[in-house]
Amino acid sequence: MSGFSVLLKKEWRENSRNFKVLWIPIAFIIFGILEPVTNHFLPEIMKSVGNMPEGADFQWPEFKGEDIFSSLLGQYQFIGILIIVLAFMGSISGERKNGTATLLYVRPLSYGHYFLSKWLVTNGVVLGSVWLGILAAWYYIEILFNHVDAWEVFAFIATYSIWIVFVVTVVLALSAWLPTGGAAGLAIFATLIFQIIDSLIGTYWTVSPWKVAIYATYWFQPNADMSDLWMSIIITVLFIIVLIIFGSSMAKRNASKTTV
Amino acid sequence: MTQLLQVVDLTKKYGSTKVVDTVSFELEEHTSTALIGPNGSGKTTTLSMLAGLVPQTSGTLQFQSTARQDIQSIIGFLPQYPKFFSWLSALEFTEMAARLSGVETRKAVMEAKKTLEFVGLGDSLSKKTGTFSGGMKQRLGLAQAIVHKPKLILLDEPVSALDPVGRRQVMNLLKEIQQETTILYSTHILNDAEEMTDQLLFLRQGKLVEQGSLDDVRSRYAEPRIIIEFEKEQELQRFTEMAPWHVSANGLTVAIDVLTEGVGMPAIIALLHGQSFLVRKIERQTASLEEIFMKVAVI
Repeated sequence: MSGFSVLLKKEWRENSRNFKVLWIPIAFIIFGILEPVTNHFLPEIMKSVGNMPEGADFQWPEFKGEDIFSSLLGQYQFIGILIIVLAFMGSISGERKNGTATLLYVRPLSYGHYFLSKWLVTNGVVLGSVWLGILAAWYYIEILFNHVDAWEVFAFIATYSIWIVFVVTVVLALSAWLPTGGAAGLAIFATLIFQIIDSLIGTYWTVSPWKVAIYATYWFQPNADMSDLWMSIIITVLFIIVLIIFGSSMAKRNASKTTV
Repeated sequence: MTQLLQVVDLTKKYGSTKVVDTVSFELEEHTSTALIGPNGSGKTTTLSMLAGLVPQTSGTLQFQSTARQDIQSIIGFLPQYPKFFSWLSALEFTEMAARLSGVETRKAVMEAKKTLEFVGLGDSLSKKTGTFSGGMKQRLGLAQAIVHKPKLILLDEPVSALDPVGRRQVMNLLKEIQQETTILYSTHILNDAEEMTDQLLFLRQGKLVEQGSLDDVRSRYAEPRIIIEFEKEQELQRFTEMAPWHVSANGLTVAIDVLTEGVGMPAIIALLHGQSFLVRKIERQTASLEEIFMKVAVI
């Protein structure tokens, strides 16, 4: 186990010293704050700088706090995931490419520990950022909109977190398998583009990891049918476990491709 | 001497290209072996296979009483251009290397400090490796390769990227390390090989074309000659007429091929002395390792 704690420490140092533990939370918090604030002030912003014709009266839809969580989710599902992919696509492939991995791989290293150390620290950074972002949004929703029940928010956060862990696992497993460019491309496909595919033709199936994020918002709807959510969560967790095993074995198989 | 490693028919193929082709050799404990060959002759691939980085296509590596999975803990490896995590300090990196190689947590910091001081980085313990110069990186690379006291150290061109001063320093360190461990290093700087080696392995296009001690190889390829430089040209003339061997003259010097003429220094000195030749200099010359290299590894 000592090897594992050494690797965890290394990952933590890497993420803190290249400031990922700072800028990723800040990015998520900014989106978390902007969503309720811009939605609240949009009518006034449009009135003063929107170039509306004299006398025009536009009826803005009445948003509720719960709707703001859903639209924040839309932001995170695109820009948030892009941030995750871009920040971590080279986690393993980058170390191979620049040769820093060589001095790790010549040691008696468990590739399971190697992959898991990256998985744990990356998830820590990303989940912390997502949580802080959603909590920041909640604070402004409480001030600018209406009260949302705490248990609903926490159930939303917990469910959405499973999707985020899935995204992180996909990115790391692909980084273990492919060179950075390929990992990035495929990760963007598997997380961003496949969401669209899943929503277009996925009406035929209701159980899918790509639907977990949408199901997370069901917690805000009192009468939603939750049965698909649970099955989707189980499937997602299974995917995550398989991807961890795949990523560890790919890291081991590709160790010989490190730059010597 | 005890054998540390036996390599039998080690082969690495990439596609249909054999990068390393049925290479066999042995390493004795506490010796240093130089792996010599031009670029692309398979030196780095051979070292990478021994380090457990690259799996061999065929052949065996038999380490003295060590199971394959434990081999990496008794090996230290220094790549030609070692790359470090730029955000770690020298001490943090060396400590991490020690712990990953199985050194206890409590001992790791102490060993890392001691090793860094040994390689001359005692003043740069907390400096980030990203700020290191080429020579400092090479020394840090050496530190991470020896911090866990491995039985075998594999060094890929340990000094070729360094300036003469850096080279001298690293060579001196290696000589000290050599007393406690076994070293296998690749090089194409033959002065270094001449300076520190018990065994030479010549690689050409992936094949081991020559091996042996420096003296062995020398005696096989060196074509020793005896060179005599005379005071005057008349003396040289007189010598060529009297000498029963084939001599080649050039200016005031003559050269006699020891092996083809079957002659030794005593016979020549006896002749020179007996006939009172006026001689300025007499010496026995052997080919340098570089000449041997050109013959064995290049052609």
